[in-house]
Amino acid sequence: MKLNSCLTKVTLLLLFSILFSCTQIDPNEPGSLVPKTVDQNATLPSISVNGTLLHAETFGNPNNSMVIFLHGGPGADYRNGLNVKQLADNGYFVVFYDQRGAGLSKRHDKNSYSIQLLLDDLNAVIEHYKTSSNQKVFLFGHSWGGILVSAFINKYPTKITGAILAEAGGLKWDDLKEYIEKSKKLEFFSEATNDALYLDQFFTGTENQHEILDYKIAVQSSFSYANGNVEGIEGPSPFWRYGAVTLNSLVDIAESEGYDFTTNLNQYQKKVLILYSENNKAYDLSVAQKEANYFPIHQIEKIDDTGHEMIYFKWNSIYPKALAYLNSL
Amino acid sequence: MKSKILIILFFSIVINSFSQNINWRNLTKEQKHIVNINIGLDYGTTIGIGYAYKLNTKLPIVLNTEFSIPFGNKVFDDFKTKIGAQAEIIKIGYFSTTLKAHGIFRKYENQMARFLNFGSEFSALAGIYKPKWFLSGELGFDKAITTHVKHSKLAQEYYPEIKNGWYVPSGGNFFYGLQSGFSFKKNDITLKFGKMIQEDFKTNSTIPFYLQLGLNRKL
Repeated sequence: MKLNSCLTKVTLLLLFSILFSCTQIDPNEPGSLVPKTVDQNATLPSISVNGTLLHAETFGNPNNSMVIFLHGGPGADYRNGLNVKQLADNGYFVVFYDQRGAGLSKRHDKNSYSIQLLLDDLNAVIEHYKTSSNQKVFLFGHSWGGILVSAFINKYPTKITGAILAEAGGLKWDDLKEYIEKSKKLEFFSEATNDALYLDQFFTGTENQHEILDYKIAVQSSFSYANGNVEGIEGPSPFWRYGAVTLNSLVDIAESEGYDFTTNLNQYQKKVLILYSENNKAYDLSVAQKEANYFPIHQIEKIDDTGHEMIYFKWNSIYPKALAYLNSL
Repeated sequence: MKSKILIILFFSIVINSFSQNINWRNLTKEQKHIVNINIGLDYGTTIGIGYAYKLNTKLPIVLNTEFSIPFGNKVFDDFKTKIGAQAEIIKIGYFSTTLKAHGIFRKYENQMARFLNFGSEFSALAGIYKPKWFLSGELGFDKAITTHVKHSKLAQEYYPEIKNGWYVPSGGNFFYGLQSGFSFKKNDITLKFGKMIQEDFKTNSTIPFYLQLGLNRKL
């Protein structure tokens, strides 16, 4: 019994030492796990449009033809797309913004999202930066950003001078489901899958506990570039914050309502550039061709020796193709 | 005796214990040791081993410990250990109710961060226990009480102000389901499965189910 008593005291001491001798951090505290957003950090560049605050930056002469970059996700940010700013050296006004609730833009509750709201945001960004009525406006969308580009053109076919889609992956919900099934296959006995799943017992966050949910996705992001990943992603690429609530909300909307952003694309009379990467096994030439065929005039370009994150890893290969395309319009 | 029980409960709360499925009606007085191997879905596909020791007490009490790891090519980057106790608190004919309390220590590591967590798991089981088989319902709560986070160079490169340290609280999940087992000679083959949900009773885990197939050998 003496031994038990001694063990109890030692264990208590150890436990209290661990728990109370160290500084405790609240995971919900802004800035502790993920960067503060524009509404929490006034030093970040931002624009106030359509009832929200978006993290945004521009490069180049505002009077030049505008190229707006739309990042992937939904919920990711434009940090790994910043190579696109090189177009500013070639006479373009390049605009980056983190979409509503994504990256360093202001967060919103899950039930506040809709596709139309995101299209209204994009329209507001265009109007915010437009300096003349005849200024050309190009959209450059990567992954989910490419889907958003298609949704915008489908809705407002006369507003956009041209568009570049880099592996959008599903202009219809059924096509995106097929892409996800191919690209995000869960192999239950693999390190990558278990790394993604095992975290759920360490941190849990409820529907609108943004910081924790955002952080969990950031930690789980290594799943996307695990060895042998289907999308051919070479390794990690930088990000600020994954907007988990944005992602969850838009996935729920897609699952419950579906979408088809191709119904009006045959009205679009401008050439569209479709990019696909050599190493993305879920997005080969047949998928690129299928997406290109929704647009009456299109051009398909393959980017060699890279995967889905081609803008970050192989910008030098994309740059001349993108520039030639933009200059042709 | 009281102090002995208090110590057991203390260890159950602060250290940890696990949920080795025991058929009380097939456990003889002479059988003191139970070894276990199990495989299942427990926040990922896992394989585990366990050991239990039956105390010589009027109230049937078993102390147990378990170690499990998820599948993958890195063996010890992630693991979970449990230590604790379970006691049969009600026995009316074949009907039995068991309370379990366990302390948990677990680790997770990937390219972004390393987590060390102290947690606890409490559960209650009620059902029919016969010498050859048992079937019971299970309800429990797995609390991640505090987690130490150390971020990798990569995570700090992406966000230099990210904080390392003890995060409190860090989460919790309820679980509920069924347990069953078939006993023969000195062995039990057990199966448990059920659903997990976060402590707000609304949010699901990525895989909101658990499943475990186990083999007990009583010595």
